[in-house]
Amino acid sequence: MKTQRLTISMIVLGALALTGCGGTTAAANKVEKQTFAAGTTMERLATAGTIRIGTKFDQPGYGLKGLSGKPEGFDVEIGKIIAGKLGIPEDKIQWVETPSKVREESIIQNKVDIITATYVITDERRKRVSFGGPYYLAGSDLMVKASDSAISGPESFKDAKLKVCGGIGSIDGDKIKPYLADPTNQMVEFDVLSKCEDALRTGQVDAMTAGNSILDGMAASSKGTYKVIGKPFFVQPYGVGMAKGDIKFCEFVNKSLKEAAADGSYERAWKETAGKGLETVAKLPEPAPCS
Amino acid sequence: MDVIVDNFDLFAQGWLRTVQICFYALLGALPLGILLAAARVSPVPFLRSLGGTWVTIFMSCPLTVVLFFMAFGLPEIGIKGSYFWFGTIGLALYSASFVCEALRSGINAVPAGQAEAARSIGLSFMRSLNLVILPQALRSSLPPMTNAIIYLIKNSAIVGAFGVGQDLFAVADTLTAARGLSALPVLTGVIAGYLLLVLPIGRILSLIETKVAILR
Amino acid sequence: MFSKGAEPADTPTVGVGPRVAEKAVAGPIVRLSGVNKHFGSLHVLKEIDLDIAEGEVVVIIGPSGSGKSTLCRAINRLETIDSGSIELGGSPVPVEGNRLAAHRADVGMVFQSFNLFAHKTVLENVTLGPIHVRKCSPAKARAQAMELLERVGVGAQATKLPAQLSGGQQQRVAIARSLAMNPRVLLFDEPTSALDPEMVNEVLDVMSALAQDGMTMVVVTHEMGFAKRAGDRVVFMADGAIVEQASPTEFFDNPQTDRARDFLSKILVH
Repeated sequence: MKTQRLTISMIVLGALALTGCGGTTAAANKVEKQTFAAGTTMERLATAGTIRIGTKFDQPGYGLKGLSGKPEGFDVEIGKIIAGKLGIPEDKIQWVETPSKVREESIIQNKVDIITATYVITDERRKRVSFGGPYYLAGSDLMVKASDSAISGPESFKDAKLKVCGGIGSIDGDKIKPYLADPTNQMVEFDVLSKCEDALRTGQVDAMTAGNSILDGMAASSKGTYKVIGKPFFVQPYGVGMAKGDIKFCEFVNKSLKEAAADGSYERAWKETAGKGLETVAKLPEPAPCS
Repeated sequence: MDVIVDNFDLFAQGWLRTVQICFYALLGALPLGILLAAARVSPVPFLRSLGGTWVTIFMSCPLTVVLFFMAFGLPEIGIKGSYFWFGTIGLALYSASFVCEALRSGINAVPAGQAEAARSIGLSFMRSLNLVILPQALRSSLPPMTNAIIYLIKNSAIVGAFGVGQDLFAVADTLTAARGLSALPVLTGVIAGYLLLVLPIGRILSLIETKVAILR
Repeated sequence: MFSKGAEPADTPTVGVGPRVAEKAVAGPIVRLSGVNKHFGSLHVLKEIDLDIAEGEVVVIIGPSGSGKSTLCRAINRLETIDSGSIELGGSPVPVEGNRLAAHRADVGMVFQSFNLFAHKTVLENVTLGPIHVRKCSPAKARAQAMELLERVGVGAQATKLPAQLSGGQQQRVAIARSLAMNPRVLLFDEPTSALDPEMVNEVLDVMSALAQDGMTMVVVTHEMGFAKRAGDRVVFMADGAIVEQASPTEFFDNPQTDRARDFLSKILVH
């Protein structure tokens, strides 16, 4: 009797492991106990034993809060790697939703300790916050219907009849505008990308622009309805946002990322999230100098 | 202040876009509102219920729902068009019901004797509306009409979010989200832009109001 | 020109005045037969039969609530009726639409509260109907309107707005507005009831002159002096029905019913 019951529970456990439920399997990140110099952010966080990480809750592959109630994605995994290096386990991380608009404010107003939220490093943003990383180089790209042959790259929008959709306030939208013959009429902007996808589906627009990995994910899940052009017209380095001028913390983040790349946890994080089903393998870019 | 000066052309473009949305929406909402009000006070029961139904639907429906229908519902059933016109027409249809009710309150404020006198000299319903009732109703409905117009202007920001973009409010998104500028100065510029639109209109309408104030 | 006793030759020939008609014309110009009307459970007009001959001045009197105003307004279809018929010149009053508008153009109406168009000048009040209904040229309409305004004694006020005029002046403008349509019959619904006492006579004088000129008139009023002086016939109403009708002399000297005697005793005592 006793052995039988044990066997059953083992089978159940095995089944769970096979289906990979929960999406937390990537979190085989080591939690390391370390000591940090007094007065540093690392020391403060490690002593507190908890960290507030800002991420997106609606960005598939990067930060998406699903039925599990916890955000999942590449950004989330990067956050976990950094937390792990501080000796903070996953369940002690407080996830804070930080949509594009509020990211700088969230850091400045001390609502989060770091932000991993497809947060593109720009000089303009550097005036107000600091960035560790980059941990990924995304590119602004275009996605069209698989049957489309009119658009081969941003230059195709010299034809003023072609319309492109982007997120309101997105870098991709901002950077495609110079390519447009008639930006007022060719550019369509929505608050969320799913509306752009809807507009592309119904033929209201001819293309949509976003980060290439986001588009790769959308194209992959569309089962051949869409294709990504694959000629990024603007490279976007994703960084780890933090309070302006925290150079020691920035260097710690860069060191942590390097270690994660070396021990394979960085690549594993990519493959199980944003890189799932894609042929492209993310490689950790050279870190930018901390400032 | 630097933020506004440095990005002045972007603000100016956004402002013009907002003016465009408001202008065309108003161009549709005013005549439509007048027609609806005429229908609602007409002696024809069918027109009365048509006007009433229209106003009930658009007054109880949030603008975002109307715009959602325009931007996503219409393409779904094969009606294609520019989001600018979808949004602007949506705003016009929505605002027309408020224009109608502003007018109707004005019409109700015109003493019944005016309509009786107009009919007594043989004016048809439309003529008595045109020549006698509406000119007087317009004057007493100017204050609620001013409100309806100002709401229309402010609602243009919602139209911007339905694929139109590049309006005054969307400028805030571009500058803060895409270019990482601090929200406070950007929003200050945006607010200044809306004030620049609303204040003169409020001023002009209140001038008209005193000019045409009716002697009774 | 309007003074009592003027010779028929002195009546205006400009063609914008009332249609002057001989009193002896076959058939009534207005005929009400079996007219009934209810306001909810209240029976306000009871089986009204009334013929009004061309050129006749019929004065309707009676206690308040007797239905006399409703009767007057029904002729212009400002009030609908439940049953019976109202005819103008032998044809029934149209129920709605352009034909009703045309009927109303032929029937002038002067209201208790004047109802001048508040946003239009005195002159515009008078020209509006001729221009938009009778399709007169504006210049001709203005000339006719000025003539009428002079005749009712308010020519000097032509450019003013109604609210700048006294009540008596406003009511005279309202009469001019009705006359400008060249109506076949003119209805007066208590035309002096809203006036200050000192202004009553200026309006009654204009009305008397019109009567003298042969205008067909239906006058609802409490002014017994006017009824005696200008009326061809007095119709006495009570509780929605016509109780008695006779020439003014007969009616005032020798009322036939208790209701009429009672009514007259109440108003003639003081």
